[in-house]
Amino acid sequence: MKKNTFYLVVGCIALALLAIFWYSVEVHHPFIIEPSFIVAILIIYLIRKKVTDFIEDERTTRITEQASLRTFQVFWVVFCALSIGAVMQILYVPTFPRASVPVRPPELLGPRMMGYFQLGLLCLMIFLYVGFRIYYARKYGEWETDAE
Amino acid sequence: MRNKIKVFRAMHDLTQEDLAQAIGVTRQTILAIEKGKYVPSLDLAFRISRRFSVNIEEVFQYDDAHLSIDID
Repeated sequence: MKKNTFYLVVGCIALALLAIFWYSVEVHHPFIIEPSFIVAILIIYLIRKKVTDFIEDERTTRITEQASLRTFQVFWVVFCALSIGAVMQILYVPTFPRASVPVRPPELLGPRMMGYFQLGLLCLMIFLYVGFRIYYARKYGEWETDAE
Repeated sequence: MRNKIKVFRAMHDLTQEDLAQAIGVTRQTILAIEKGKYVPSLDLAFRISRRFSVNIEEVFQYDDAHLSIDID
């Protein structure tokens, strides 16, 4: 399979995923989009193996590795820091509750806020990865030109 | 790490693309190595030197300026 055909297939899969996503939103059923996403990624990985004109060598692999590693390093710190806030809700036990004040844990993340929170993390991860990828590609001479 | 890939390429009348195809990497990788932007692995360094039928030390030289050990 040629590289361009692969990109076309990926585009079609992305469009199908978008349609499934909106359908999931309409019927309010997340279990439709979640397995679909996993299956779509698996299909993309399988098709990618059949692409013949992708040339990967140790430098391109190193760029991907470094970008992934740095993304993970930043992401886990942000994710853990924000998750600790959510864990507080589970562990909230008032030590000395006053009789006059009603005892209820602080509402840190409602169900709707949780969605925005996840969206923010997803965007952060994508931006971090793209940013680090550009940085390392530049560092390892991806866009160097040489008059030969 | 300094290298003489450009010199050896000229001696063997090879373009970056020819060398890249011969050792199974992209042309951009050869360019990055020549410009010192990327230090190749030992395996790739050996493949390059084998292509020119010389020892690895003749193509790649470790730059003493990068040595961090103080010798007194």
